[in-house]
Amino acid sequence: MDILTIGGILLILMMVLLSGGVWIAMTLAICGWVGQAFFTSTQPGLNLFSAFWESNASWELAALPLFIWMGEILFRTKLSEEMFTGLAPWLNRVPGRLFHTTILGCGIFGSVSGSSAATCATIAKVSLPELKKRGYDEKIALGSLATAGTLGILIPPSITMVVYAVAADASIIRIFLAGFLPGLLLMGLFSGYIAWWSIRNKDKMPPPEPETSFIEKLRLSKNLIPCALLIVFICWSLIAGWATATECAAYGVVGSLALAAWSRSLTWTNFNDALMGATRTSCMIMFILAGAAFLTKTMAFTGVPRELAEWVNSMNLSPYALIACLVVVYLVLGTALDGISMIVLTAAVVMPMVQKAGFDLIWFGIFVILLVEIAEVTPPVGFNLFVLQNMTGKDSNTIAVAAIPFFFCLVVCIVLVTIFPQIVTILPDLVMGVSK
Amino acid sequence: MTHPPATISNPPSALRAGLDAVYIASAVAGAVCVALICALMVFQSLGREFGLNTGATNDIVSWLCAAAAFLTMAHAFKHGDFVRVTLVLEKVSPKVRRVLELVSLFIALVAVAYLAWWACRFTYQSYEFNELAQGLLPLPIWIPQLSFAFGAVLLLVAVLDEFVIVARGGVPTFVRLTAERHAKGDFSSDI
Repeated sequence: MDILTIGGILLILMMVLLSGGVWIAMTLAICGWVGQAFFTSTQPGLNLFSAFWESNASWELAALPLFIWMGEILFRTKLSEEMFTGLAPWLNRVPGRLFHTTILGCGIFGSVSGSSAATCATIAKVSLPELKKRGYDEKIALGSLATAGTLGILIPPSITMVVYAVAADASIIRIFLAGFLPGLLLMGLFSGYIAWWSIRNKDKMPPPEPETSFIEKLRLSKNLIPCALLIVFICWSLIAGWATATECAAYGVVGSLALAAWSRSLTWTNFNDALMGATRTSCMIMFILAGAAFLTKTMAFTGVPRELAEWVNSMNLSPYALIACLVVVYLVLGTALDGISMIVLTAAVVMPMVQKAGFDLIWFGIFVILLVEIAEVTPPVGFNLFVLQNMTGKDSNTIAVAAIPFFFCLVVCIVLVTIFPQIVTILPDLVMGVSK
Repeated sequence: MTHPPATISNPPSALRAGLDAVYIASAVAGAVCVALICALMVFQSLGREFGLNTGATNDIVSWLCAAAAFLTMAHAFKHGDFVRVTLVLEKVSPKVRRVLELVSLFIALVAVAYLAWWACRFTYQSYEFNELAQGLLPLPIWIPQLSFAFGAVLLLVAVLDEFVIVARGGVPTFVRLTAERHAKGDFSSDI
């Protein structure tokens, strides 16, 4: 049978199983099994065992539970409440004033937490009532929260990046480094839009807060200093090549435990909940990775990705045309799947294609993560919309409409990153030397 | 609600309590593995600074990493952490949804049974041939692989458990717990 036909059959099977509600990890493994059992002469049982064992018994993957744990610990501290009081006094003179607490808060919290939903929920819980009380426009606040919450997956250390690095067999540290500048760029775009909006809509802006002295400002934000130090420490040890990603994650856990103890929120319940939550989440991700590893083996045996890459190559698409096609594919996938599943599911097939077309896999990782961010804020299953809907009682479509301007900031960021790939590659190249 | 509450179709019994305790106990063991990974990584990086030989740490960490995932599978499945596409499930009528849940659970049952069978079979083979781990710590490989065999069998039990609950007309535990969490505004389990 034609190799591409095999690929087509597996794709249809996958879509049927997924839409019927079969768990993603199991669907991947089932498709892998069908591919091997019917279209190759290998022994699926043996491959299943080795795929599951080898993909999970991995020293590199051990960074995953630790980074999740770190976020879970900080999620349960008073950090989010301190974020607003600590950031607010500094933003009084900036156009847009306290609106920027949402962007900065999500950026800071996103760097310690790797989850977009948790970032969005945590910052929204504190910022929304405070902004509303002061008479800030709710629509802008909702839109910026929904979209800026997705910074959690772009600003390193990010769980999604660890998953991409494992799936693409790339260096975790390299992709972390690659995320810094796009993350800052995106925050700049969001804040820029807020500033522009508030200058144009002066009448809708509430009056500024009473001025505070510099010492008073410092006093109000003193509780943020330990967290800032933790972030600086983690980033610095990554950039200085001081520790491996897993060691870095372990220090992150120790640091956030210390932080939680210092702010007196380290109760036994909190510790227990954080550790169990982290264990469950990493189990879920590792189960998907294991299922995908088995499917990847099937793909290698049948040769579908190679054939597909050649086929795409034979069409002589320009690199930009290929990227445009992939954008459509990811946006369609994003209407049904979560980010991690999307990345893992496409890794085996899309990456050979992208590499063949001459794209850097690190760059492509950041690109896909930006697309995942878009998927988080677009209906029907944009998860951040769902989170805010649950927290505010507003209809998710209202929130989606509020997010439209920020959605365009994301699009601008994607376009900039595509035209100037250096934004992504310059930092890792500078720190770790130019890759192969 | 069209489904009867799960508690009515499944009165709390010794079996129910026992199974839940086993899932939790296994997940706690997984959590201990995560905590150990953290401790070992700190130990390793400090050890390097002081010139200690910590060579086998990486092997142990990778086995702990596998055990952390495998031992937690059953609990994470019941808790509703395993992701699936709910787009269709949420659109259809409760009757159709129940059928789809049953079909999904049945497919899962077959798939996990296959996984558990091979996990046990190859772990036993490693034991029979006394295969040693490649690396700096030549431990018999069946010892770390035991977490895979045990975790897969326990996941099979959990899937069967859910299948029975739904077949008796109850709401799947993973649906109920996720809905309860979201109603409380807790999104910490969602990436």
